[in-house]
Amino acid sequence: MSKKEFLRSLRPGQVRADATEDIKQEIELYLELRAAEFEREGMEPAEARRQAERRFGDKTRIEADLRRQARRRRARKGTTMTMDGLKQDLAFALRTFRRSPGFSLVAVLTLALALGGNTAIFSVVDAALLQAMPFEDHEELVFLNGYHLTNGEIAIRGASFPEFRDWNEQSELVSPMAAVGNYSLAVTDGSQAERVATEVVTAEYFEVLRGQPSRGRTFLPEEHLEPDAYPVVIISHAFWERRFALDPEAVGSDLVLNDRPLTIVGVMAEGFGGTALNTDVWIPEAMISLVSGVGVLDARGSRFLSVIGRLADGVEIAGAQAELHVIATDLQAAFPEVHEDRYSQIQPFRDSYLGVTGRLLWVLMGAGIVLLLIAAANVANLLLVRSHGRTREIALRRALGAEGRRVVSQLLTESIVLAGLGGALGLGLAWLGLRFLTPMIPQGVLPGYVAPQLSTGAFVFSIVVLTLVGVVTGMVPAVASARPGIAATLREGARSAVGGNIRRLRAQHVFVVAQVALALILMVGAGLLTRSFRAELAVDTGSEIEQVAAMRMQLPNSRYDSEEAITNFAAELERRVAELPGVRSASISSDLPFRGGSSGAYVFRRDAPEDRIRFHRHSVTPGYFETLGVELLEGRLLDDTDAAVGDGARAVVITAAMVRRVFPDENPIGQTMYLRPGAQTPLEIVGVIEDLRYRDLRTSLMAEGNSPDVFFSYWQLPTRTIEVAVSAQSPTAIGTSLRQVVADLDPDLPVFEVQSLMTSYEAQTATPRFAAFLMGLFSSLAAVLACVGIYGVLAFAVGQRSREIAIRRAIGASASSIARSVVGDGMKLTVIGLFLGGIGAAASARVLESFLFSVETTDPATFVLVGGGMLVVALAATVVPATRAMRRHPAEALSAD
Amino acid sequence: MGGSNLFTGTLDLLILRTLKAAPLHGYAIGKSIREGSEGVLAVEEGALYPALHRLEGRGLLDAEWGKTGTGRRAKFYRVTPAGAEHLAAEADRWARYSGAVAAILGSGAE
Repeated sequence: MSKKEFLRSLRPGQVRADATEDIKQEIELYLELRAAEFEREGMEPAEARRQAERRFGDKTRIEADLRRQARRRRARKGTTMTMDGLKQDLAFALRTFRRSPGFSLVAVLTLALALGGNTAIFSVVDAALLQAMPFEDHEELVFLNGYHLTNGEIAIRGASFPEFRDWNEQSELVSPMAAVGNYSLAVTDGSQAERVATEVVTAEYFEVLRGQPSRGRTFLPEEHLEPDAYPVVIISHAFWERRFALDPEAVGSDLVLNDRPLTIVGVMAEGFGGTALNTDVWIPEAMISLVSGVGVLDARGSRFLSVIGRLADGVEIAGAQAELHVIATDLQAAFPEVHEDRYSQIQPFRDSYLGVTGRLLWVLMGAGIVLLLIAAANVANLLLVRSHGRTREIALRRALGAEGRRVVSQLLTESIVLAGLGGALGLGLAWLGLRFLTPMIPQGVLPGYVAPQLSTGAFVFSIVVLTLVGVVTGMVPAVASARPGIAATLREGARSAVGGNIRRLRAQHVFVVAQVALALILMVGAGLLTRSFRAELAVDTGSEIEQVAAMRMQLPNSRYDSEEAITNFAAELERRVAELPGVRSASISSDLPFRGGSSGAYVFRRDAPEDRIRFHRHSVTPGYFETLGVELLEGRLLDDTDAAVGDGARAVVITAAMVRRVFPDENPIGQTMYLRPGAQTPLEIVGVIEDLRYRDLRTSLMAEGNSPDVFFSYWQLPTRTIEVAVSAQSPTAIGTSLRQVVADLDPDLPVFEVQSLMTSYEAQTATPRFAAFLMGLFSSLAAVLACVGIYGVLAFAVGQRSREIAIRRAIGASASSIARSVVGDGMKLTVIGLFLGGIGAAASARVLESFLFSVETTDPATFVLVGGGMLVVALAATVVPATRAMRRHPAEALSAD
Repeated sequence: MGGSNLFTGTLDLLILRTLKAAPLHGYAIGKSIREGSEGVLAVEEGALYPALHRLEGRGLLDAEWGKTGTGRRAKFYRVTPAGAEHLAAEADRWARYSGAVAAILGSGAE
């Protein structure tokens, strides 16, 4: 059949030329015979014919009716045939798969792995990137950060109340604007003590976020004005449910926070959690006395507020940033000491919430697409391999009379069945994968209430891509068989010389090289991330966190209103905790490593204001150093002699990093510093300890922005926030005992974050661990798929060349030389792929730059290791085809056709 | 296609009846019906063919190409068993129907 005929046979339901002929003939015969009848009655032939036609009726119309009838009948037959055909195709397809289980299994698994992996990952990304923003028109929302520019390094801090008011008054491009302070307050009315996430907010807060109350109202303007005049509070829906069981009488009743009663004036709509996304209660800034002194409202240097705002209509971030820069310089001029080197920066909400993690998720999405491409190449490869065997079968069927259309539909059915099976399995894998991945997602990537769900979009996209690839390559045998010379195809046998096969082989080679290259890119990425992660783990924290458990509490103003009350409580607490069984040592401090919450201040070397250093202040009891296992380098640690609060110097201990930065050429011991120029009480350095990691593991301790740590004696500088640290044999089990001690001392004092320091530390490294793990997963899958590809091509090639191989064996080539040549072919492809992949990896690794810690994007060790690994794995994939080639008996190969 | 349903149905029955005896081609069927009804049923002669084809489509007739007595190529129609059944059932119905009409016309308004 010619190509034209083949294509024509694909067109459905046309009335064939012969059918029209038949109809014409039938009617023509009638007319002739009828005319003959009239002639016999005596009419002239022409008249007879006219009469016959007249009596017949509208010949044209009738012929058209008949043609239409025929067409309809044909279509109906076609549909039934199609239905029958489909059923046949389905049965045939399933039988074919059962006959070659290896192929079917590999094909389905390939599809399933790629689909499942991709969908699971994309679902997480979708949840994190797209669902995590519960604010209306969130593209307009921005954070305003103040930052200091010292020696070229940027250190970001919050804003102070006066500063915020200046920004708000002077900015026209960001409006409305509000300031937010985050706190944790204790609810202490009878039942259980509980801590609630609190936001202290200024007047336009709810307007910025467009948050609506579901009951009651938001704050009135006067409630923000005079301190302590209106003790009001707004609660969240979740809190209302939790604490008040959705009691409609809640609005108007009292809520006791930090021992002070506040009136509930409103409940926010469900799903509104403020900027922290899980806020329980909101209080106006006029009620700041609940958490700190009222003076902070006017303290220009007290910088702890988050400032949020909405860009005015049509305003771009760049424009707002420029305006804010002008305002900052004005403030620098107006308040030179406090605003020196201080600028402000605008950041869209999304970037603030996701930061590094957001970009990481995009990288992961890219990896997912690469995996999809590899899988597609695999599917194409597999089908091409199979198509070789099918060409003869199909040629045979066509020679026996099967219509082109049926052959095509049968191949199509096979491809779709494959896609269906792979898709079903893939969906299952995706669901499993998501269940497995979700608990691994590090804190802060997703807000608490967002749970990743299977992304149908990702699944549909992946399956469509793979199905298209499958369908197109699956059609190859049908198209090939439409070529002239079915007889020639049947005769050819296993000889590979003819054009189509060479083209096929070449296509396969291209696919394999592409697969290897792509797999290498993924593996390099995974390798880099893994090395970076391990480098981060290897950073010396300076403390022995494995043994330490911690617990935090906040002493309320109401019951602990003097320094004496605080220190008495702390002393008793420390004593009792130290006596717990299993506890080696205990300490009280204002904060602990990796648990946040350090406060910063300036200290001055001499009695001179220009010579100042920013530092992180920690108040610790003497037991702190022993509990955390911090090593003393010079001088002495703080001890009980430093408890007296007199006029004498206050003893402080500093870290080695501070020595390097501030006292590089002098002996630090005995040096004095001052908290303020002209202050009475100097600070005397009595000891130097080893470097301690407090916040993160990456930033260099010598970097300007990374303020050093200075340790004061807790008894001289007590704080309301108390962290209890214990070094114990089993830090995880000691939690209950710790809580009990506090409950005994003060039953109304809630404690929180009772966990081992290890847990907090791991939270720091959770994101790089997660990233490295995911990339590792992707790249393993990619490597597996690439190897399947290599194996497939080689197996095919060996099959193709079996005659050639047999001849060579017959001539006397050794089995091992045959094997070597097969392996050689495979390795050649792999090496080309690795070379191309190496270039690609070097280029694309730049994307990972911001995530890598102490590892270069062109880290040679990673490239070599990964490339070598890929070679070994590819080598393994060549073994089976090679041995099969070796073992094939020459006579058998020659005769097989 | 002209005529009411009743009319078309009647033509179908006439065709089936005509072919009950022996297979015929289109012209012969038409001639037989014309002569058999003594010119009362003057069908638009061409309407025969759509009816024939339709009956063939419904499986009540079988068709086969063959040669006429004079060697012309013609399509011969034949009643199938299904067709015979249909004819019997419809003939029965027709008889009861016409009997009922006759009865009303016969008795009645006096």
